[in-house]
Amino acid sequence: MATSAASRPTVRLHAITAAARTTPGRYGLITAALLVLCVAFGVVSAVRLQARSDALDDLVTSSEPLAIAAQDTYRALSDADATAAAAFLAGGVEPPQVRQRYEDDIAKAGSALATAASAAASSEQAGRSVARLTTYLPVYTGLVEAARANNRQGFPLGAAYLREASGLMQSTLLPAARELFESETARLVRTENRATPLPVVEVLLGLLAIGALLAAQVYLRRRTNRVLNVGLLAATTASGLVLLWVLIAAAGVMINVGQARDRGSARVQQLATARIAAQQARGDETLTLIARGAGAEYEQRYAFQIERLGGTDGGSGMLGAARSDVSDPAVRALVQEATDRQQVWRAAHAEIRRLDGSGRYQEAVDVAIEPQAANGAAVAFTALDESLGKAIELSRQRFDAEVRSARSVLSWSVAGVALLTVLAVAGGGWGMWQRIREYR
Amino acid sequence: MRAASGRRRVPSSRRLVGLLAGALAAGLLGGLLAGCGGNAPEPGQREVSFARPQPPGAIERGAPLSTTTAAPQRDCNREASLRPAGPPPPPAQMPPGSTMAAIVDSGLLRVGVDQNTYPFGFRDSLTGELAGFDVDIAREIAEAIFGDARKIQFVTLTSQEREPALQQDRVDIVVRTMTITCARREKVDFSTVYYQAGQRVLVHRDFDFKGLESLTGKRVCAAAGSTSIDNLINATWRPVPVSVSVWTDCLVMLQQDQVAAVSTDDNILAGLAAQDPYTEVVGDPFTEEPYGVAIRKGREDLVRFVNGVLERIRQDGTWADIYRTWLSELGPVPAPPAAKYLP
Repeated sequence: MATSAASRPTVRLHAITAAARTTPGRYGLITAALLVLCVAFGVVSAVRLQARSDALDDLVTSSEPLAIAAQDTYRALSDADATAAAAFLAGGVEPPQVRQRYEDDIAKAGSALATAASAAASSEQAGRSVARLTTYLPVYTGLVEAARANNRQGFPLGAAYLREASGLMQSTLLPAARELFESETARLVRTENRATPLPVVEVLLGLLAIGALLAAQVYLRRRTNRVLNVGLLAATTASGLVLLWVLIAAAGVMINVGQARDRGSARVQQLATARIAAQQARGDETLTLIARGAGAEYEQRYAFQIERLGGTDGGSGMLGAARSDVSDPAVRALVQEATDRQQVWRAAHAEIRRLDGSGRYQEAVDVAIEPQAANGAAVAFTALDESLGKAIELSRQRFDAEVRSARSVLSWSVAGVALLTVLAVAGGGWGMWQRIREYR
Repeated sequence: MRAASGRRRVPSSRRLVGLLAGALAAGLLGGLLAGCGGNAPEPGQREVSFARPQPPGAIERGAPLSTTTAAPQRDCNREASLRPAGPPPPPAQMPPGSTMAAIVDSGLLRVGVDQNTYPFGFRDSLTGELAGFDVDIAREIAEAIFGDARKIQFVTLTSQEREPALQQDRVDIVVRTMTITCARREKVDFSTVYYQAGQRVLVHRDFDFKGLESLTGKRVCAAAGSTSIDNLINATWRPVPVSVSVWTDCLVMLQQDQVAAVSTDDNILAGLAAQDPYTEVVGDPFTEEPYGVAIRKGREDLVRFVNGVLERIRQDGTWADIYRTWLSELGPVPAPPAAKYLP
């Protein structure tokens, strides 16, 4: 009563305190208070439910696709760099499937970037990363084409342009892509959190409203000796239902979004990071061979990346962590497949180093890039990359399914809560009116 | 009291309705404020500064650093090397205990070369193999040691890595456009001279070159660790030296208009000009650059052996054949540079 009184001019304040001295006036003030509480509770619940629903919509239509687009940009760019290096190593006119892979990567990077560009509107950092990527990606492809044109004429100048392209990729494009990837992943997590806050305010208001309704009924019973006030009872039931609905909806959404995160987005991020580490290791393996004796730095980088990927023995590291974190059997089988192929790749790499170290350079190059060699590095890496790609796709589908479940939990909830609030207000008003009417 | 409240009751019911309406409005407003929140940020204009890419490792050099040309060249009789010890031993039958026998035992001759300097040491992109003048000299040496020119392990080195690679025993010999200087002689040994070069300048065809002074204050490119970059740093005509890791990076910078000229040995410049018809080699040679095969200190038998191989190829026309294969662009085959021996 004090809240509604505070917003009125002081002249009315006297009228209200005067009314409070009479029973019907008191009943009127009680009614006002009950209505304020019920309406506030109903509105807050509806608005918060709507906010959860909006966050879920945002997840499906915006946050998750943007996080995937950022991942795809990063993956496609690092693969393009590794593929351009492998193409150079193949000598002369590069094999058609290598050329195709490079072109697919650039196309994928371009289209993923176009999607990720819509993230630029909502985040300063994402905007900067996207601007840098769109500015320098054409410069990179231009340098690769200059390398190709020079290679085609048999000029060693081609290698210099390729080195410049690779330097640009490592110093400018890949860091920007990684920043975008990290910022979009953080945004995905924030949106997931936005969909799953604890319904503290709603519960407090609900308990306040129901408590006030019960107190009003007790007061009326004492004053009028009537046990049952139908209207107030209806209002209490309606408010109780709203509270229940809010609790169930919040719990349902939290469970589903939690699943979506554990089986979906968190796995996708883990697997995507592993995939990119594998690509960078592949690029470094190729660059070691291109540097031809002066590649100790690249070999160190390869060792660093492959250790991140599979640990010292091939069974731990990111792949091992993914295998133990994954609960879906199909995804786990794919991760296991990826781990096995990584072992084959490690063996092939050891062979490459052995051949290169004993002066059999051309054989080392064949083991590294020959697409037909059964135990070669190219086959093992491509298979590993594909397995991880499939695992990511399955996890994405799982994420989608869980978020859809969450959305279905919330369907009609806003309308239902609004209807019940109206019923509560009507019931409370009618119930109190019955008592006030007796004083006429 | 009832009458008084009755008089007040009629207007108070209107007040009551007004009170209830106000309560509803307040409840609605409070609920909306509690539930809503957040502003959508506005998309703005974003400027991105565009920095033209450069070859990785390109550095503009300032004041002269301590260089390999600190000491004057003529004082130490740099071109003189050790005389070969008699007729060369047959392939694979090296004197026991000698460096060459150790190389035969290891199975391969480890040679430091370049893979970016056409036509001395470069990667033939059609075959993927290394080729060039220096590579052919290295093959002659391997042939003399093993009887098989393929028993070579090539290790590509940047100009800066040439001496450390020998000192760390990563390679047995370095055949990589390496100028013999007194300062380098303190770290490694050299064979006799197998090629005589001189430093010149490479510019765009439409650059108005009127002698070295026309490059004063202009950016001129050379590889780090070479005598060329030292000559630029110490030059009286004060260019702005820019160092890169390999020679082709200089041509990239010239093509991207990031330097005005490239200055190094005329044969290397000829190789760069062959890859870009819009450039030309200009000016007179302003230094002498004798090339030698570099060998780790303390292996004098290998130095004598290599000098023996070089003497043979001078005499039997192999040197002329190699020159004709790679350097016919520079003109008719000259006489091979004469060997100078220590007494």
